[in-house]
Amino acid sequence: MKELKIGVVGCGNIFNLAHKPALKNIESIKVIACADIDGERAREGAKAFNAKAFQSLDEFLDLDFDVVEVLTPTYAHAEIAIKALKAGKHVIVEKPIALTTEEAEKMVQTAEKEELKLFVGHVRRFDKRWVQMKDVIRKRNILPMHIRKREVQNLPFPAHYWYWDENKSGGVALDLGVHVTDFLRWFFESEPLEVLGTGKAIKEEAKSNDTFDHFIMVVKFEGGKTGIAEVSWAYPYPSRYGVFYHHVDIIGKNGRIRYTPLDTPVVGVAKANFEMPRFSPLLSTFPDAFERELRHFFECIKKDIEPKVTAEDALIALEIAEKAKESARKGEVVRL
Amino acid sequence: MKKLNFGIISYAHPHALRYASTIAQSRRAKLCAISGDGANSDVAKGEAKKYGAKFYKNYEDLLKNKNVEAVYIAIETYRHKEVAIRAAEEGKHILLEKPIALTLEDADEVIKAAEKNDVKLMLPFNPRFTEPLIKAKGMIKAGEIGALEYIHAISENVKPPIFLQGLDMSWFLDINKSGGGGFMDTAPHGIDSLLWLTKSVPKKVFADIGAKIYGFPVDDIGTAVLEFKNGILAVLTAGWGNPKGYSYGLEIKYYLVGREGFLDVRTAYPDFTVYQDRAEKIYWDRPDVRGIVGSFVTAVLKDKDVPISGEDAKKNLAIILAAYESSRKGKVVHIDL
Repeated sequence: MKELKIGVVGCGNIFNLAHKPALKNIESIKVIACADIDGERAREGAKAFNAKAFQSLDEFLDLDFDVVEVLTPTYAHAEIAIKALKAGKHVIVEKPIALTTEEAEKMVQTAEKEELKLFVGHVRRFDKRWVQMKDVIRKRNILPMHIRKREVQNLPFPAHYWYWDENKSGGVALDLGVHVTDFLRWFFESEPLEVLGTGKAIKEEAKSNDTFDHFIMVVKFEGGKTGIAEVSWAYPYPSRYGVFYHHVDIIGKNGRIRYTPLDTPVVGVAKANFEMPRFSPLLSTFPDAFERELRHFFECIKKDIEPKVTAEDALIALEIAEKAKESARKGEVVRL
Repeated sequence: MKKLNFGIISYAHPHALRYASTIAQSRRAKLCAISGDGANSDVAKGEAKKYGAKFYKNYEDLLKNKNVEAVYIAIETYRHKEVAIRAAEEGKHILLEKPIALTLEDADEVIKAAEKNDVKLMLPFNPRFTEPLIKAKGMIKAGEIGALEYIHAISENVKPPIFLQGLDMSWFLDINKSGGGGFMDTAPHGIDSLLWLTKSVPKKVFADIGAKIYGFPVDDIGTAVLEFKNGILAVLTAGWGNPKGYSYGLEIKYYLVGREGFLDVRTAYPDFTVYQDRAEKIYWDRPDVRGIVGSFVTAVLKDKDVPISGEDAKKNLAIILAAYESSRKGKVVHIDL
């Protein structure tokens, strides 16, 4: 089997922190081009792989290679992914799949029409913790009925950064929300029926951008199962450590599973002058999860097989989060 | 020192065991009478013997005992109204197990009876008498975590029939007697903590409560999302979702998010764990029950206000009932408090 040739679009945070180290570790591929609207960043990225740097997307896509990794801010996912598919490349795009389900549907349709792969980086599905938890649930027949998952951090970026702009990131409800909505659907193995969403603007960055930085969803699934998602960029952790905090509580007909990194003190206090337990600065998962994800996607492309998490899964994860935002606006439950 | 003479009416609610031992150990109270109404009459009788208290088959006879000044009522919830009103009429001060009653109308009658007969009426919501939560409340007041923004409260217990062997708790599974299952049983504690910590009341609730785990005829787990008038957002999870082997047993926890800090409050009661074929937690002290009994005794003996009044408990019940309504209708319910 020939070596896959990869081009990267978007050489910012998620590229530098997660994808670059992972791509470097994978032997069976070669990164041949890096593109970014910021020429300096493109050159920086390209240098790491001895690849070509591009500022123009069209010139980048004219090049002959197999897979495009779309690692740009969310609002640019759909346009770039669709162009890449039309240019005959397979696409791996970071989560959320797109800013809206409408855009995401177009991406899925384009991939089908072009008979090319479209994969979405739902990296939680490759995280050892959750993979093993899922495995234990299956082996011990836990039958989850109630899952609470919290994914929270103190987002360390200033107010002008794209994350804080609803029109660019979709806000925390989408950006972290899709991780949890996908997690719930993955663990319940059921389809969602309706969702209640409610949010708050806690930090100044959220208030000045008229977005939420703290968001709750109650998602009801088929079979009386309920998921509670809490996502936040406003947890008052010291941002210089980039602490990202997960908490999972699963209550099933045959048992309970919980995971929390904070489980010893009677009153645990996290303030700016404390260092909290952490595993990887600024990342919400282990670096090897990204590597496992990318290896899996590359293998699926080479062998033409179905991935563990499909673009349709990503689309539904987005739909739940989108409806949760709609629910928060209306103050009422929204059906899916 | 003047001691308050206590009677305990019924051992239907297992908390009676804890209250009996606490009252009996108190330097300011004396356990002098126990009645065996409702479930667990035999247990009540055995306890009377153990504490040297006079045993009555029914509460009417206990209420006629002039020596009894105050009663702790642990009878099945559907009889709270009847018994509390009669106790008030007989001039006994009342410590009434939660929830106050099955309906708001019944709660009103209980409150009115206490007022009319000039007796104290207190409801026991335990967590605000636990040391970690008192500490957290103090830290919030001192501004240590900035303005309070979000609370996730957890009030979860183990599956009830397994929890206490030798006690008949089947009435907890009869909605006509208990008013609800795991959520009705444990959520009032979380609600009380939320009212106490936020110093506000919710204006909206959305809840999902159901018989999800055990196949009981009543709900066993519930979640409520509450928006408070002062802008604080809260999620409360409550019920009986903890399996037998869950090492945390009874779990009363709070995650408190302020603008400038985060408090992680857990392990409500001091314990140690015994490991044999299974792990068992032994609560070697219950400062919450001591605090409840102590403050009630003080209110009666010194004629002061009780820390948790009938009105507070009625408000609590209104929120619980609104949560059930929301779950039934699948809609957000507005609360007018």
